[in-house]
Amino acid sequence: MSEMSLSKKLLRILTDQTILVVLVGLIIVFSILNADRFLSTENIHNVARQVSFDTIVALGQVVVLIAGGIDLSVGSVLAMAAALAMGLQSYGVGIAVLAAIGMGLAVGTINGLLVTKGKIVPFIATLGTMTVVYGAMLTYTQQQPIPGQVEWFKVLGAGSAGPVPIPTIIMALFVGIFHVLLKYTRFGRNLYAVGGNKEAARLAGIQADRPVFWAFVLSGLLTAVSGVLLASRLNSSTIHMGQQTGLLVIAACIMGGASMLGGRGSAMGAFLGILALAILTNGLNLLSVFSFYQTGIRALLLISIVAVDAFYATTVRKRMMEASAIGAQQAQESAGSGG
Amino acid sequence: MVNQANPTVKESANAVTGQFDGGGVLDRAWDWVRRSARDQITLLLMILLVVAGSFLSPVFLTPRNLLNILWAVSVLGIVALGQTLLLITCNFDMSVAMSVPFVGIVAIGLQIAGFGLWPSLIAGLLTGTLIGVINGLIVVLTEANPFLITLGTQTLIYAVALILTQAKTWYGTIPAFNVLGRGQAFGFLHYSVILFLVLALVLEFVLRRTRYGRYLYVLGLNEEAGRLSGILVKPVKVVTFAACGFMAGISGLIMASRLNSTRASGAVGMDFDSIIAVVLGGTSLFGGSGGVLRTVVGVIVLGILNNVMVLAGVPYDAQWIGKGIVFLVIVWTDTLLRRR
Repeated sequence: MSEMSLSKKLLRILTDQTILVVLVGLIIVFSILNADRFLSTENIHNVARQVSFDTIVALGQVVVLIAGGIDLSVGSVLAMAAALAMGLQSYGVGIAVLAAIGMGLAVGTINGLLVTKGKIVPFIATLGTMTVVYGAMLTYTQQQPIPGQVEWFKVLGAGSAGPVPIPTIIMALFVGIFHVLLKYTRFGRNLYAVGGNKEAARLAGIQADRPVFWAFVLSGLLTAVSGVLLASRLNSSTIHMGQQTGLLVIAACIMGGASMLGGRGSAMGAFLGILALAILTNGLNLLSVFSFYQTGIRALLLISIVAVDAFYATTVRKRMMEASAIGAQQAQESAGSGG
Repeated sequence: MVNQANPTVKESANAVTGQFDGGGVLDRAWDWVRRSARDQITLLLMILLVVAGSFLSPVFLTPRNLLNILWAVSVLGIVALGQTLLLITCNFDMSVAMSVPFVGIVAIGLQIAGFGLWPSLIAGLLTGTLIGVINGLIVVLTEANPFLITLGTQTLIYAVALILTQAKTWYGTIPAFNVLGRGQAFGFLHYSVILFLVLALVLEFVLRRTRYGRYLYVLGLNEEAGRLSGILVKPVKVVTFAACGFMAGISGLIMASRLNSTRASGAVGMDFDSIIAVVLGGTSLFGGSGGVLRTVVGVIVLGILNNVMVLAGVPYDAQWIGKGIVFLVIVWTDTLLRRR
C-alpha cells in the first residue's frame, strides 16, 4: 500500500468514497445556487421524508445486488402494494396492510424460486414478474387511483414526530437493521461471499442458493413496506407509482458502492445514493428545471453510473487485483528465498 | 442449424468452421421440428392459440384475419428482427421502446418544418441508426451491462422526445407519407408486411451465409474464443447495435406513417414485446443460437396471442399478465433444456 503513488491513492479514495464526494458536491452546488430555499428547514424536512420511501426499496435492492442478482420487479410490487393497502381497506386497514406486505413476500419468494430453482437469470426472471405484477395491478385498480377510507392512515406516511417525519424514522430503523445484518451476521457474510465468487463460496461450504433466495424475499418485503408507506402518505394509490423506482434504486445502490457483478455494496451506500439522487431532484425542482429535463438528466446520470461502474469493474479493478496478486507473489518469493 | 442443447461433434465442428450442413429446405424444416423440444412447445402454443381463436370467432382462420395479424405485428416484427441479431451475441437493446416513436417524431417534425418526404424518411433512418451506434459504443467501450445501458438511453430518448414534443401528438403533413404504413400491393398485401418478410429473408441470409453472421454466433457462444480467433469484437458489436437501430428506424417510419401521427409514448412496451417475440421463436437468451426466421415465427405467435386475447375479451391490463406468464414459461423451459 505504501508503494502506491499519491495519484493512485487519490483515485482509490475517489472511487471508494465516490458517493460521499458526489453528495458533498451536490449540496455545495445547490447551496450556492439557491441557499435560502434549498437549506430551509421546510425543504430539509421534505427531502428527509422523500428519501425514506426509496431508501427502503433500495435496502432490499442492495441485498439482491450484493448476492449477485438484480430485482427489476420493485416498481410493480410498489404500485401493487400501494393499491392493495388502499383497495382492501373495507376489510380493515390492518388486513389491507398485511395483504400488501404478504403480496410483497409472495413475489419475492417467486423471484427467489425462479432464480435459485428455475435457474433463470435474475434480470430475466424479475423482468417477467415485473410484467405479471404490473398487469395484475392494472387489472386490480382498473387503471384508477384508489382513495383511502380513513384519515388517520395518513399518519404513517405524512406525519411527523416533532421535526422528524415518521417515514424517516422508519427508514433510519431499517438502515440500521440492514447495516448490522450485512456487516455483522453470518447471513450478511454469506451474501457477500456468494455474490463475489459463487464457486468459491460453494467450495467453502456455503449453500449458494439460500442467501440468494432470501435476498429476493427481503427485496419483495421491503418494497411492499415502502409501497404501503407511500400510499399512506398520499392516502391514495395511483397506477404511476413506482415507474421510475426500479432504475432509480439500482442506480443509487451502484452509486453507493454496489456492483452489477455482486459482492459489493452496503446499506449506508444505498441510503447515500438515494440521498444524492433526491437532492439532485430537489435542487433541480427548486430551480424550476422542467421535469422533462430532469428525466433526461437522471437518465444521463444512470448511464454514467452504470458505465463507470462497469468500466471500473472490468479494467481498473482487474488491474488492481493483478497488481496485488503480483505483489503477493513477489512477497512469497522473497520470503521463500529468505527463509 | 445447431441444436444448442445437444450438439453432436459434427455440429460443433461445423459451428466453429462455419460450414452448415445443407440438405433441402423441407428436410431442414422437419429436422428443426423434430429435434428441438423447445420449439415443439412453441409449436404447441401456436396450435392451441389457433384452435382457441377459431372457437372464439368464425373469422379467425380467414386469410383476411391472418393478413391483418401480420400487418399488425410487422412494426414489432421488424424491431424484433434487429433484436434477434443482438440477442445472438448476448446483447439487448431496450431503447427501442422510445427510439421507434422518436424516429417518427424526427420524420414528422421535419415534414412539419417544411422538408420533403424523402429527407424526412432518410433523417428518420439516420436517427435510428445513430441511436444504435451510440448504444453500441457505450456498451462496447465500457463493457457495461447492455440491458441497463439501453434502459438508460431509453429514458434519455424519452426525455428528449418529451422536450421536443412537449408531450403533444404531432401529425404528419404529407399524404404520400401514409403509403408506407397503409399502402397495399395487389390490393391486399400491405407494404409493411412485404418489408417485414423481405428484411427477414435478407437478415437470415446474412446470418447463415456471411462471415459477419457467423461472427455473431461465435461471439454469442464464446466471446473470448471469438476474440482470440481474430474476430474484431468491438466493431462487430457496434455494427450489430447499429443494425438494430436501423431496424427501429424503419419500424418508426412505418408506425408514424400508419397512424399519420407520432407521440413520445407511442411504443411503450415494445422493448419487452420484441424480446418476448424473439424468445418465443426459439432464439436463446444465452446467445449463440437462433435466427431471424425463428423470430418471424415468434412474432406471428405473439400476434396470434394478442388477437386471441382481444377476441376473448381479455382487457388490456390483463394482457400484460398473459404475456408475462408466457415469457416466464418459455424462458424457464429454455433454461431447463440448456442445463445438463
